Order: sequence, then structure tokens, then C-alpha cells
Amino acid sequence: MSWAAVAKKDFQDAVRSRALWGLSVVFLLFALVTTYAYVEFPDMLAGGDQSGVGLALYLAGIAGLFVSLAAILVAYRALAGERESGSIKLLLGLPHTRTDVVLGKVIGRSGVLMLPILVAFVLAGVYAALSLDPFGMADYLIFVLMTLVLALAYVCIVVGISGSTGSTSRASALAVGFFLLFELLWDGISIGVVYVANGFSLPATFPDWLFVVNQIPPSSAYSTALFAVIPDAMGSGGAGGIDAFYGTPWLGVVMLAFWIVVPLAIGLRQFNAADL
Amino acid sequence: MTAIDLDGVTKRYGDVVALDDLDLTIDDGEIFGFLGPNGAGKSTTINILLDFVRPTAGSVEVLGMNARTQSQAIRARTGVLPEGFQVYERLTGRQHLQFAFESKGATQDMDALLERVDLLDAADRKAGGYSKGMKQRLTLAMALVGEPELLILDEPTTGLDPRGAREVREIVRQERERGATVFFSSHILEQVQAVCDRVGILREGELVAVDTIDGLREAAGGGSSLSVTVDVATDEAVDAVRSMDGVHEVTVQDSTLSVRCEEGVKTRVITTIEDAGVTVEDFSTEETSLEELFMSYTGEEVQA
Repeated sequence: MSWAAVAKKDFQDAVRSRALWGLSVVFLLFALVTTYAYVEFPDMLAGGDQSGVGLALYLAGIAGLFVSLAAILVAYRALAGERESGSIKLLLGLPHTRTDVVLGKVIGRSGVLMLPILVAFVLAGVYAALSLDPFGMADYLIFVLMTLVLALAYVCIVVGISGSTGSTSRASALAVGFFLLFELLWDGISIGVVYVANGFSLPATFPDWLFVVNQIPPSSAYSTALFAVIPDAMGSGGAGGIDAFYGTPWLGVVMLAFWIVVPLAIGLRQFNAADL
Repeated sequence: MTAIDLDGVTKRYGDVVALDDLDLTIDDGEIFGFLGPNGAGKSTTINILLDFVRPTAGSVEVLGMNARTQSQAIRARTGVLPEGFQVYERLTGRQHLQFAFESKGATQDMDALLERVDLLDAADRKAGGYSKGMKQRLTLAMALVGEPELLILDEPTTGLDPRGAREVREIVRQERERGATVFFSSHILEQVQAVCDRVGILREGELVAVDTIDGLREAAGGGSSLSVTVDVATDEAVDAVRSMDGVHEVTVQDSTLSVRCEEGVKTRVITTIEDAGVTVEDFSTEETSLEELFMSYTGEEVQA
């Protein structure tokens, strides 16, 4: 249980980051404005049929962007920063294993990232529930829960990156590189992959496996996974319109699980082996 | 019982040898001073004891446990003041101690501990605003949490004024009286000399001496030097002194004999000179300074 003490200390420390608070306020405003627009201008945004699931899918876009950026901000220094400053020696002078430290970091920083998500989405949800009838609170809550899972996945990715190096500039470069690659450039890359695979020309119809490639970015996996877990959204999307065993929104859930486990496992391995 | 046992420990960073085949045993309940100039390998040794870095070769046991595989259990019974640490700038002094208490499952009186390191008044301020000395004392307090069996203090007096350094030495003595073993590193000899039962001197990754301060002084070539001014320094008198037991070296300049010898034979040196028919006009005596001693081992200037 030694990770719990680390997590608590880490939460106390990281929650005082001013940059995080700034980003959180921006996110809160975006979430509220978006929800307001969704509620007040149904013809433009909701296609006439407003609901909890509709709002959820609408908010998912900004949630994906916020979570990825905020996770980098909150977590890139988690381990590399402690190594660079030397506070890791204070931490490991106490009886924690390095694995405890990594787990404590994941829990503590996830808590810090989940806080603004919960505040923003609870406020937005209350506002929407009071304004719309029926709303579909259960669908909306599952969406919020799924967003917390995305936050966990992103923290695991960035803590994993942070654990793989003793330099914060390297950790931030890797984390920002991850963001650029998977969140900004991925669409272009996946088309490029198809282009190359098809003998340097674009095919008339895209291959089925492109759906899999497209689920690799964590926020895409999250958007797809919403169709697997929100009851009223099931069957309405996230399957890529393809007829293959992997043509299911559960692929998004699997991909999120991958992002929770694999980068952290690699980072943990490197951190455990490192001379501090 | 043995508190620390290093056997053939070598640490290489690429081509650089930080520690070369180090053997060192520290007994339960002693205050051991670990001396050497900066860069000699003191912190590397301590980092290996705490499993912060892994040795290239050799075996390390702390409190009878394997430093590599049982590190958590070792650190549960050890208090650590590391070198080159940084505090958590955004947490208060009290929050730091709280964290140490929770990590060690300790239940002692936190205010008393803060008082002991003279930080009670500043306990609720953020540690980022502390002076170097306050950060050092905060970390020392964290090391004392849970009444550890072993204290590993890496340069604990760095950043402290003379009074602060004296207080640290006082705490070290109190901890030993409580029954703790203290492993205390410093590049400043006098910090160590005042409290330590034994010292080890490290030079370029090699242990060049392990002994008590008195033992070291003796081994370094006699503890004292005696300067005797005579009317005429006759060969007969000089030879008589040279042939005495306990005299290491005699040099003559004009009518002054400089005699390097053991503490106990000084009086007999004077009488020997007088017995040789020479009049002693004046004499003075001085102990080999510990700094000279330190330099004789490390071959380096002692840094203040």
C-alpha cells in the first residue's frame, strides 16, 4: 500500500500547478459554452433530437483534445522531473519500491487530471439535465466515466514516457512528439499507409484494416469506445461500416486498454533498471 | 552485528571507474565518518547502499539484507539524508514530514521533531521558500522519522552555518545514544573528526584508509612535531635523537632541529639533546594538523 502515500503526496504537489489550473479554466469554459450551444441551438448542432448521448458525443471532441494536452502538462515531469531535480532521492530514501512510486504517480496525477474533467462535466451535465427533458442521465454518466478512462490512459502513457528518461526536456519532447504523431498527424499518416500499401496510389475504396489503424490514437479509440459502452449509442456508429470481426466499437476499448498497459510497462521497466 | 558490509564493490560509468573494489564493514552502533574530496566516490557508495544505483560488481549488505533485492525493507529501517536532493517546492515542511510519517508508518510527535531541527516556526510554509540550510534540516528531520536503526547522511552539514553544523553533530550523537548506527559522509574533515568513532578515507574510488582518528594520525607518520632551538646543533646530538624509538624524522636548519615524533617521546627528545651536551634555548611543539593528515591521504587541497 506504499503507493497510496506516494499518490497522496504527488496529488498535493501536482494539483498546485498553475499551468494546469489555467488550462482547466479554459476547458471548463469550453465545456459550458459547448453545452449551452448544444442546448440552445438544437437545429444547428443536435440535428433536432437532443439527448444525453447526443451531448456526450458532442463533448467528446473537446474532451479528447483537453485530456491529451492536460495529461502532458500534468505528467511529463512525474518521474523525469524528480530525477532531474534530485527529489527522487527524497522519495526513494523512504521505503517505497520503484514500482510503488510509478503506481503512486499514475494514481496521483490521474486524480489531478480527473478533477477538472469532473468539475466541468458535472456542471455541464447539471445544466443540460435541467434544460432538456428527457436527458438520459445514465448515458451521460457513462460518457463521463469513459472520459476518466481516457484520462487514465493518457496519464499512463505520459508517466511511462517520463519514467523512461532522467531528463525533463527529453520527456517533454517525447510527450509532445506523441501528441503530434497520434493526435494531429495520424489521419494523414493512416492515409499515407494506405497509399503506400496500394502501390503508391489511393484505392477506390479504403481497405477494412484502415479502421484498425484509425483506432490507434487514444482519443480516437475513446470516441469509438463510446459507441460500445453507451447504451443509446450502440449500433449507431463506431464500427467503421465494415464487415470484419474487428468492425466493432469494442476495438476502441481494447485500444484504450493497450494504452493503459503497454507504455507504462515499458516506462516501469526502464525506471526500475535506471541508475538515479 | 554488522550494519553495512561492502565486499569488492566496483562501479563503472562507461570508462570511468567511480568505485574500485571497495571493501568496507561498519559495525552496529558506531558513528562512521566517510571522508574524501568531492568526486572521490562517497555519494556513489551511498547511492549503492540505497539501491539508487547498481554496482558493476561486488556484494552489498545493509542491516544483514541484500541491498539490491531487499532495498525496501532496508529503507524501512534506515533514515536517509541524500546528496544533491531537492525538496518539493510546492509542499510545506509539515507536508514533507507527513509524507515521511505515512511512508514509514511512524507515530512519533511531529512537532517535537520539527522543534528538534529548529523548523517548527517555518513548518507551515512552502519548502520552496526555505534557505539551503532549512531544506537540509527538513531532510534531516525526514531521516529521523521512525527512529531508524541506521542513519545514512550524505554531506549533512553542507549549507549549514557553524552553529547548524554543530547541531547536526549533536543530533548524530543523540541518535547513536539511542542505539542507531550512523554513516556520515563529508569532504570536510573537521565535521567528521568531532563525532566519529572511525573514519574511512576515499580517494578516486579507492578506500585508502580506515581507522580511528588517532590511529590515522599515527599511521600518517607520527602525531607531533617538535621544534628545538639549540646553541649549536652538533652531529652527536642529532644522531642521538635520530636513534631514539618513536622518532620518525629529524631535520636540521641552522641551530633548529625539527623532530617528527610520537606524542609520548617529546620530553625525552629534549633530555636526549641536553645529555649530548647541547644547550636547549627554546622549543615548541605542534600536533600534525588533521588537514595535513587528510591531505597526506588524499593528495589534495582540503576544501573549506
